[in-house]
Amino acid sequence: MREPHTPNDGLFLIKYGEIALKKRNRGAFVKSLKESIRAHLPGLSFSVYEAWDRVYVGFSRPDQERIAEALGRTFGVVSFCEALRTSREMSAVEDAAVRLAGKFLTEGKGARFKAEVKRADKSFPLTSYEIACKIGDLLRSRFPELIVDVHTPDWVLTIEIREHAYLYGPQSPGPYGLPVGSSGKGVLLLSGGIDSPVAGWMMAKRGMALEAVYFHSPPFTSNNAREKVESLARILSRYAPGIALHVVNFTPVLARIKEKAKDEEVTLLLRACMMRFTTILATRRGGECLITGESLGQVASQTVESIHFTGMLSDLPVLRPLIGMNKEEIIAIARKIDTFETSNLPYEDCCVLFSPAHPLIHPDAHRMKRTYDCLSVDTLLDEALETAELVSF
Amino acid sequence: MNRVYLDWAASAPPEEAAVRELAEVSLRCFGNPSSPHGAGKEAARLLADARTRFARLIDAAPAEIIFTSGGTESNSSLLLSLLNRYRLGDSERRRARIVTSAVEHASIHDQALGLQSLGVSCTILKPRSNGIVDPQAVADALDNETVVVSVMLVNNETGAIQPIKGISQVVREFSTRTGRKIIFHTDAVQAFGKIAVSVKDLGVDAASFSAHKIGGPRGIGALYLRSGVAPGFLSTGGGQEAGRRPGTENVAGACAFAAAAEQRVGALADNHTSASALTERLVAGLKEIRGSRIFPESRAGRDAGSFSPYILSAGFPPLTGEIVVRVSDEQGFCIATGSACSTKKKDRTRVPESMGLDHSTALSAIRISIGPATTVSEIEGFLAMIREGIPHLLAISQGRPDNGGANARGRTNE
Repeated sequence: MREPHTPNDGLFLIKYGEIALKKRNRGAFVKSLKESIRAHLPGLSFSVYEAWDRVYVGFSRPDQERIAEALGRTFGVVSFCEALRTSREMSAVEDAAVRLAGKFLTEGKGARFKAEVKRADKSFPLTSYEIACKIGDLLRSRFPELIVDVHTPDWVLTIEIREHAYLYGPQSPGPYGLPVGSSGKGVLLLSGGIDSPVAGWMMAKRGMALEAVYFHSPPFTSNNAREKVESLARILSRYAPGIALHVVNFTPVLARIKEKAKDEEVTLLLRACMMRFTTILATRRGGECLITGESLGQVASQTVESIHFTGMLSDLPVLRPLIGMNKEEIIAIARKIDTFETSNLPYEDCCVLFSPAHPLIHPDAHRMKRTYDCLSVDTLLDEALETAELVSF
Repeated sequence: MNRVYLDWAASAPPEEAAVRELAEVSLRCFGNPSSPHGAGKEAARLLADARTRFARLIDAAPAEIIFTSGGTESNSSLLLSLLNRYRLGDSERRRARIVTSAVEHASIHDQALGLQSLGVSCTILKPRSNGIVDPQAVADALDNETVVVSVMLVNNETGAIQPIKGISQVVREFSTRTGRKIIFHTDAVQAFGKIAVSVKDLGVDAASFSAHKIGGPRGIGALYLRSGVAPGFLSTGGGQEAGRRPGTENVAGACAFAAAAEQRVGALADNHTSASALTERLVAGLKEIRGSRIFPESRAGRDAGSFSPYILSAGFPPLTGEIVVRVSDEQGFCIATGSACSTKKKDRTRVPESMGLDHSTALSAIRISIGPATTVSEIEGFLAMIREGIPHLLAISQGRPDNGGANARGRTNE
């Protein structure tokens, strides 16, 4: 156990439910969570340490708000709150309880309260019930306006007896999930639309570190469209810090498809080339899977037949977290994670020029694969990979 | 990068004389023309001068000029006055009709539609395929409810010169026959300073003008209202502009507007000759490029006399105008898609579609607009840039073999 040295104006106590369940991997997960907390707060001085199934962040007062805000976005955090740490002497615990109760009263949290005790260290001489009674009595004698209400309290004072005693009041919810980085790395096909950022967020929630790839076709697509995608990557990086965005010029690939293929196949083949490209990129960058924002039947390239074909171009798993979701459900998440307004900006990510009026809806995957092979785009994809730009968030 | 400005119809580079007058009047004559003291009187005198200077240029009397904030206000305040005249409610308003065209600026077209939702009736006339409104179509649309007819003098997207004299004749004939008072208005924003504008000769009751389209400052324009025409404006306030347009007058702006107007009207014939030569060269140069279109094609032929030489609409369908504008901008050429004033998506293709173009062709429209300072070498430079940059993009978008130019160019643009 590493004790916090500096800074230590205050302490956040962090609970991390799901991780605690994974007993054998716990060490690795907690390490991931600590790293993830640090990654969310670059340039800030604070300490992160673990002890007895809890992670603690020691902070200096001016950074408190920023850290609290980041913990609210750190996957793996179930809840967090500021806690007072004292020695396990009852007198010290009592002093801390009086300080906290006084603070809650001043803040107007209400008069009905409850003291709850968790005795992780069963060797402690008093039982949980005995400690709760003692603290309850003390607070009522000190603050006559307080009323004990174990069923509908305005606030709960929790006392945990661990290697130290920790006292805290109401907790803020975390986003649950698994710490980013604990489930490997995926490469997200990021367009300017509503779906793909949500798909990225959902996989980050399950602990996946993200890289993203954006295909643009200058001058058919505008710089505004590219800036929009960069904004989306920046928003996503608030949940999955350190996103690398690869910006790929796909105009030559688009030109080849438009030249060689039938109009109704253009969208599907373009999509296939993107999957192939991303697979090559992921392999090179240590990505273990592809992530797409596909939702079954939403557009022609997202029918099960189309997905069969485009999936053939990747030998990595293709994760499609939105596959069973309705647009309304996706939009609700996009609003929650703050990508909706940016996604809704009017710049088109792929020019109307290249969207056929009647795209194939139920393609024959094996026939399409042969058509794809006839395009012979491998060299073009290699060139696109060589000229791709990398933007980090 | 040396920038070539070919978007004069959006806003013209300032005339030096206008900027000087703006600065001088702003610095020295800052009084409020309504004030009774010396500083106020001086400002009032300058404002009166500016009114006289401008009125003379359009063949009007000074009392017939109302200074406004620009073309949009001139247009919309006239239409909005209907709310004041027909304030009795829906049934009364429904007996007030605006007859206008599908090619008007949004400050007429959208304002008319807005009034329609408030109960006023609206007839919107399609032009012929050359973008020109047929006076006979106006005659057919007039009825016992018509109170305002508004057709623009020069279209801001195609440069089409509308037959305003002919339309004013049919409106007058109808008025005489039926005894109905109709206000005939023309939006002269893209015409003034570029082609001869005499309100008397045109026979209009009202006309809108803007300073920044001819090198004057933003935020100043004018509404001509023929003596005896009193639409009854909606806003009230300090009684300025003879009670027709309240608000402390923009004296410096009015003076600068008059200065710019004098410059342009003074050199109108010479400027027109050189603009005609430039546009002719532009049309000829564009026509040599495979896949180019001129909208309408007839402006290079039988309709040649019916277009302003300062505005040209062209395109390379199915390449969207947006792409051509972007590619041009990367090479330092400022041009526009359709109208610079319509940022709204659905409005972007209203004018070309009203001329019968399909949606994809309408989306391809670009607008090249020039002014007195535009040079032959700028036009040649523009043509060279288009010849260099557009054909292979057109090939890609049409699925023709790409000669590799796109790859090379794509990278140099990064």
